[in-house]
Amino acid sequence: MNALGLVLLPFAGAVAIWLLPRDNRTAARALGTLVALATLALTPAWATRAFSVRWLSRPFAAAFHFGATPLSYWLVLLLAVCSACAIFAANVPRARDFIAWMLVLEGSMLGLFLARDLLVFALFWDLMLLPVFFVLIGWGRHHGTAWRYLIYNFSGGLALLFATAAFGVLDGSTDVIGRGDVHLIGSWVPWIFAGFAFAFLVKTPVFPFHTWMPATYSDAPGPMVAVVSGVQSKAGLYGFIAITLAFLPDYLHQYAGLLVGLGALSILYGAFVALVQNDAKRIVAYSSLSHLGLIVVAIVAFQPLALAGAVLYMVAHGLFSAALFLALGFVEEREGTSLLSRLRGLGRDNPRLSGALCIGALAALGLPGLAGFAGEIAILIGVYQSGLVWVTAIALAGIVLASAYVLRMFQDVMNGPVSPDLPVRPDLTWREGLAIAPLAAALILLGVNPHAVLTASSAQSPPVATAAIEPPR
Amino acid sequence: MTPLHHATLGVDGTYPLLLGLWLLPLLGAVLCWTFGPQLKAAAGWLATGFLGCSFAATVLSWPAGTQLIGGAHGAHQALLSWLPGLDFGLLLDPLSLLWALVITGVGFLIHLYSIGYMHGDRAFARFFAYMNFFVFAMLTLVLSDNFIGLLVGWGLVGLASYFLIGFWFERPSAVAAARKAFVLNVVGDVGIMAAVFIIVAHVGSIGFGDVFAASPGFGTGVLFAICGLLFVGAAAKSAQIPLHTWLPDAMEGPTPVSALIHAATMVTAGVYLIARCAPLWSASPNAQLLVGSIGAATALAGALLGMVQWDIKRILAYSTMSQIGYMIMGVGVGAYDGGVAHFLTHAFFKAQLFLGSGLIIHALANEQDVRRMGGLRSKMPFAFVAMATGVVAICGVPGFSGYFSKDRVIYGTLEHGHPWLFGVAVVTAGITAYYMFRMLFVTFMGEYRGDVDHVHLPDWTMNLPVGILIVPTIGIGWLMFGGDASPWNRFFAGQFASGAPVTQPAISEGLTTWIVLAVVAAGIGIAYLRYGTATASADAPARLEREAASVPPVLANAFYFDAIIDALFVRTSQGLGRFLGQTADPLLVDGAVRETALSAGWLGALTRSFQTGLVRAYALVLVAGAACLIAYYALAPGAFR
Repeated sequence: MNALGLVLLPFAGAVAIWLLPRDNRTAARALGTLVALATLALTPAWATRAFSVRWLSRPFAAAFHFGATPLSYWLVLLLAVCSACAIFAANVPRARDFIAWMLVLEGSMLGLFLARDLLVFALFWDLMLLPVFFVLIGWGRHHGTAWRYLIYNFSGGLALLFATAAFGVLDGSTDVIGRGDVHLIGSWVPWIFAGFAFAFLVKTPVFPFHTWMPATYSDAPGPMVAVVSGVQSKAGLYGFIAITLAFLPDYLHQYAGLLVGLGALSILYGAFVALVQNDAKRIVAYSSLSHLGLIVVAIVAFQPLALAGAVLYMVAHGLFSAALFLALGFVEEREGTSLLSRLRGLGRDNPRLSGALCIGALAALGLPGLAGFAGEIAILIGVYQSGLVWVTAIALAGIVLASAYVLRMFQDVMNGPVSPDLPVRPDLTWREGLAIAPLAAALILLGVNPHAVLTASSAQSPPVATAAIEPPR
Repeated sequence: MTPLHHATLGVDGTYPLLLGLWLLPLLGAVLCWTFGPQLKAAAGWLATGFLGCSFAATVLSWPAGTQLIGGAHGAHQALLSWLPGLDFGLLLDPLSLLWALVITGVGFLIHLYSIGYMHGDRAFARFFAYMNFFVFAMLTLVLSDNFIGLLVGWGLVGLASYFLIGFWFERPSAVAAARKAFVLNVVGDVGIMAAVFIIVAHVGSIGFGDVFAASPGFGTGVLFAICGLLFVGAAAKSAQIPLHTWLPDAMEGPTPVSALIHAATMVTAGVYLIARCAPLWSASPNAQLLVGSIGAATALAGALLGMVQWDIKRILAYSTMSQIGYMIMGVGVGAYDGGVAHFLTHAFFKAQLFLGSGLIIHALANEQDVRRMGGLRSKMPFAFVAMATGVVAICGVPGFSGYFSKDRVIYGTLEHGHPWLFGVAVVTAGITAYYMFRMLFVTFMGEYRGDVDHVHLPDWTMNLPVGILIVPTIGIGWLMFGGDASPWNRFFAGQFASGAPVTQPAISEGLTTWIVLAVVAAGIGIAYLRYGTATASADAPARLEREAASVPPVLANAFYFDAIIDALFVRTSQGLGRFLGQTADPLLVDGAVRETALSAGWLGALTRSFQTGLVRAYALVLVAGAACLIAYYALAPGAFR
């Protein structure tokens, strides 16, 4: 089998789960976990085996072409891990439908990351919005959040679709992802660039396109947010590297100043707002804005080590934000709230839950020895070398602020005297613990030796050659 | 890519003992953490045993750490590589060997002590997991052969310190102290990160060997920037002005933690960093002046604040800050062997003092206020002997360990051409003698002023480590006796080649010693007259209350550092966050988005109509629309061949 099989597997699993009886939570979760684990297990073997069938020849050539590049391989792996953990952890009402939607989400994002054709990429881009939308409608608190998510991201998807069509007409083919010999010429090209950039900036998101995110992240159930924040937020960044940087480097150069500015603004804006939020999930949401802003800066720094660090930090951020949202989901399930003003002292009776939240928190604040730190330091060494000294300084300020808001979040939930108002609930179950453990293990592993991920971007197309430290001046 | 130098300090090879001494405490931590509930009280013995093995491995590594083969000093073990230039390994040379011996040796004694001190705590195993983890982190810091490895250790000791300060996390004061310590230390981490960026940009490697080999080529400005940024890290970790405010608050942690982390080992990491980077500091006179001055200012400020404390642990905390000021002053000006010597003696006498104070606190049911002590000499004679030895050693009474090392630092400031720092160091020595003897007199002399009826005497696990520590507290300084022929100088021969004296001072070493001794004697004398005489003891309770009420505000508020940091950084950040989060984000940014959405009429109508119900149906319409759009491109006439 090949990459197409990998994409179809979760969809098939979703259909199978919908055929189960409505109220059989255990069976749905067992089947869902099995499918997600199978996807994870088959990723190394199937993801890199390409599949291609000609789809269009006019007005431009397009193909159902799937197959991992070294870059997307790590994102596919991240997606498979996060999905398996989230589905295994899922303990929501109407679990059958929820888990089926989770599998649809995994399948559509697998299609996105494995797509080698821009049109297929755009197709899956829109497809991956739907499961999140339906979960927000069915399980969220306000329908408005769902509509805001859909309309905001769909307008980005529309821009992406138009840009893709124009790309195809100009170049003659959209079957280009992973190729290094594509150069666009023509008066449309700035508009194509704008279309891609808008879609990617909204999806990431980057200031000022972020206002759909905090509501989405605090409304949706923990397991869904774990995958959306952990992996879906990487779609835009992946697009920046695999499409904009690869095919439109001149325009990316031209607008690098603007993007660096937006990235730097996101770093500080997200950090300052996270400092005073009352909802733990919103703190993590705004911290994502801050962290993803750093990755945008890293991509447009045009420096090999910064790019290598960006890929590593994408994976690291996926792992720790998944861990954080899963753990906060467990907190919310137990206490019925994620508001810091109501939570207090859970750590005394829930040491394992406290530990689970702690490791995510530590990775998020960039503790040396965990993957987040490795990504940050690689990015910042590169960004400093590219001459963006003031952005380096802003990013360092962001790290100090991160330690303040992340610890505030962790301590207000877990530390302090036990609150008499909160119900006493049992500590983490073995199932919940097992859902967080792989994420924690990966964070430690990649924190100690991230060699494999750091070298992934060196196989990228020009102008980004090998990831290594610049020679001495 | 140009080839890198790959200059190493130390002989390349595989050193199982080195790996063992480094990883055993990590294994202990993992075991204590994982099997805590099953281990119960055995966790303490397990952690102590692992650390004992680690100490034994360190001692056995002595020949490897001091070997000198073909110009390479010590042992170098390669570990892994992230990318070319980002290589990680372990380096055991005399400097890191010394630190490793203290970390594992003193650490072992403090672990043993903790078995008694923490007895009955509900999180006994967790405590030992954290303690063993701290030792692992500290060893990572001092054994790394590169700046990022050092930074990893640097961050992990900060984490261990955070966990242990906030060990009793149901106390809001402990939680706040832990967060403050962590955030201030991240400021330091970020300083070191910035230094790493400059170093990599100029050298293309993070290895100490590569960097020191390339350092003669750095410009003055670059060198000063690197040293200055590294010192931000050193200042945060070693509680130097203005990043010191976390240390007094850190006394919220259990007393053995204060002894191990916030006195003997972690807080001296800044001293280690500067001694390690001796080739950089020696080449930058500006950095030497900056660091020497801040060290001196910290020594003086800590001593002044030590005079007006009543909490026995806070007295010791400020004295720690002051003594590290001495060490930083020493290594800062270039007297590396002096600063490092003071680290060694301080590790023993300050551990001794903290553990001694722990005996008292444990016996008096967690009483820490010296005003509610007094007369303990007869009740706790062993604690008195232990504390008195420590006090005599820290004051620099001849023959005791502190005398030898402090003398080296003080004379070193003159030898490296800083007479002003010499003056501050001498004055501080006098103040130190005053406030340490004040503590001793108020605690042990006169009548008991507290209300604990039964003094709860500690068991052997607590007494034994204190008894053992008395030996080096008195005697370790003799290693430094004898100038160039002393064991100390021979141990570090070749390590601090760049630390040779630059000037011949106007006054001899013998004369400076007499000056210091005179000042110290004056300090002890004043303390005796105020607190030690029979008349002073007679009306002690009333007198001490009066004294506490008349502390000058500038000292009572610790020179207002907390207030200034709070006003400049904490409140402004929170204010900005509140403005952005509550005003800008919902009204301006999102407001603009909503305006755009509504002014596009169809979108507005769409939003309104969807609020009427039948949500899924409408969603389907939207999806269908998207599908039609895609289908148009896919199925446009002639699209298929």
